[in-house]
Amino acid sequence: MKTATLNKSDIGKCIDLLLQADLRVIAPRLQPQVDEDGPDALEVLTFTEVKSGEDHQVGEGLLPLNGVKEFLFAKHEPLFAYEKRGKKIEIIPVHHEYPQTVIIGVRPCDAASIASLESVFSDANAGFEDPFFTERRSRTTFITYSCTAPDSSCFCTSVELSPDSAKGSDLHLTEIGDGRLHVEVITKAGEAVAKQLQDLLEGEGDQAAREKAGAEVTEKLTRIRDSAPIMEWLMDTANFDDEMWQRLGEKCIGCGACTFVCPTCHCFDIVDENKGSKGYRVKFWDSCQFDHFTLHASGHNPRDWQYKRYRNRFNCKFKIYPEKFETPGCVGCGRCIRACPVNLDITEYMAEVAHKAANPNAMKADPDFE
Amino acid sequence: MIEAIRNQARLLLENGDVDVVIGYAEGSDPSRTTPIFIRKAEDVEKLIYDPRCINSLPLYLNKRHEYTRKGWKKTAIIGKGCDIRAIVQLIAENQLKRDEIYILGVPCEGVVSHPEKWDGSLHDGNRASKCIGCDVMTPHETDFFPGDKPDVDRSTPYEATSKNVATLMELELDKRFAFWRTDFDRCFKCYACREVCPHCSCNTCITDETTPSWIDPAAHKKGVFSWHLTRAMHLVGRCTGCGECTRACPMGIQVDLFNQRMKEVVQESYSYKPGYSLEDKHPLITYKVDDREDFIK
Repeated sequence: MKTATLNKSDIGKCIDLLLQADLRVIAPRLQPQVDEDGPDALEVLTFTEVKSGEDHQVGEGLLPLNGVKEFLFAKHEPLFAYEKRGKKIEIIPVHHEYPQTVIIGVRPCDAASIASLESVFSDANAGFEDPFFTERRSRTTFITYSCTAPDSSCFCTSVELSPDSAKGSDLHLTEIGDGRLHVEVITKAGEAVAKQLQDLLEGEGDQAAREKAGAEVTEKLTRIRDSAPIMEWLMDTANFDDEMWQRLGEKCIGCGACTFVCPTCHCFDIVDENKGSKGYRVKFWDSCQFDHFTLHASGHNPRDWQYKRYRNRFNCKFKIYPEKFETPGCVGCGRCIRACPVNLDITEYMAEVAHKAANPNAMKADPDFE
Repeated sequence: MIEAIRNQARLLLENGDVDVVIGYAEGSDPSRTTPIFIRKAEDVEKLIYDPRCINSLPLYLNKRHEYTRKGWKKTAIIGKGCDIRAIVQLIAENQLKRDEIYILGVPCEGVVSHPEKWDGSLHDGNRASKCIGCDVMTPHETDFFPGDKPDVDRSTPYEATSKNVATLMELELDKRFAFWRTDFDRCFKCYACREVCPHCSCNTCITDETTPSWIDPAAHKKGVFSWHLTRAMHLVGRCTGCGECTRACPMGIQVDLFNQRMKEVVQESYSYKPGYSLEDKHPLITYKVDDREDFIK
């Protein structure tokens, strides 16, 4: 593996070089606020297309509010257009642009989530492929950046990741002190980007310093849960009706914030947006937390209470995903914890399951909930 | 103060006067609190109240949130003044009956605007803008209140419009539109703004209607603008200004600026402020024979 060092202050120059090479560059960027200093103002950091090397917050802040998901799996896109002419309906293909893209400043949790999306949208074994996803994926390179200051909602080490993991990365950067970055070329795509940046890269990296920095940051994580027993516990169908689901989930209000900020959630819906006799068939993000998500045409809804919808989300992350795809369903980014308006916390479920797995004779059902 | 609330909650549960007490408990992070449903008298010790208690709990009294399905005949709820305005508004809109609810009022000095701004104390740098000029720090409608309730003059219109509304209104129309175009680009339609709202009462929200589909569900500009503008219009004269929609937005969009602006319009046009009277109907669903406009005659 090739390594090098880079001055942190040269990241802007890196972005300019990539822009000069006609690449679309996505980076974390602070969004303008109506009132920057007011009591209600928040730092709104999002992954956004940048047009200049001066216009980025790579390596600053923790995690952009959105993940990189929307640049591979679009929030909305037309599948095709249609027009009714007499009794015939004509299907008209829609042209999509898939620009060659570099996303810089991706944190390790977000990078790890890309494999999870790939297993859904381009399952080589099943022979299924979502061309919109795979076209974008094949044209996107990820320059990742090890975390320096995880917050109290981060829990990547509980799901077999770490703040300096290079999983899913093409080119990986880690701060090693003195304003320098250790650069690791991970893939061929990363090598191609490294070539674009070669004037800024120097000599060899400092592997020891990189590992030391990673270990120091890992120490800072406070939210540590044991995810090992979760899958087996979920596999026991008797636990599907455990009292925990209702007790912890009854405050859930059924918004989709946790699923939409989640880097691995991938559910979508398809509708026809009709205007007179023509329109578009559009694919867009959906959420298993919405009450009509599993509503049948008959009116029956198998997930008829909100806690059952959250139970599904937890099962999706820790049972369905690993069972079906062998890629992580949860990467521990903590976005769902930060975003939840009522402080419903996925790691509380994780702790509860670990506790129940260790105490199999504990109460199964709470009569107060009957 | 919280001791008195806990004692009263314990009494209510022990005597069987209420089935549940909805309040706040410590959250999973030191900066956060979380809604809690207390059913057993011994659990009242979990109840807390301080400026981190941001959530507007009356949303759980809204029938959309399975309230009626839980089989609670009588519910006690801890409310700061702004939450009680929401309860009063729900009652005025026949969404709730006064005798189904037992209101445990708390004196409030304001809450933080966002949990991440909590640094151990409440000050001008982190106090939510809705709390500035608040006239219900001592709540107006309670069944239990710890301590004395001083007389508060609530005759003047509630003036707590964030200065962001004024800043936006000063912009030229096209610049204001450009601001929302940029901000709404982040919206992915998770509907957190809808779900936290105590006043979104429709069994099926217009945006979930499919036959026909009134509002495009996709989060493109048309779908996002039509959703947020419809939401703002449906809350005209009803929004009690809890600011939860903005606080809940995971993408940091200040969606309540629309509601605040509409609140100003309603106050200017009708001298009406929602959430103060159990009987008054909001201006858009009622009429007066002596209306100062003559189109009605």
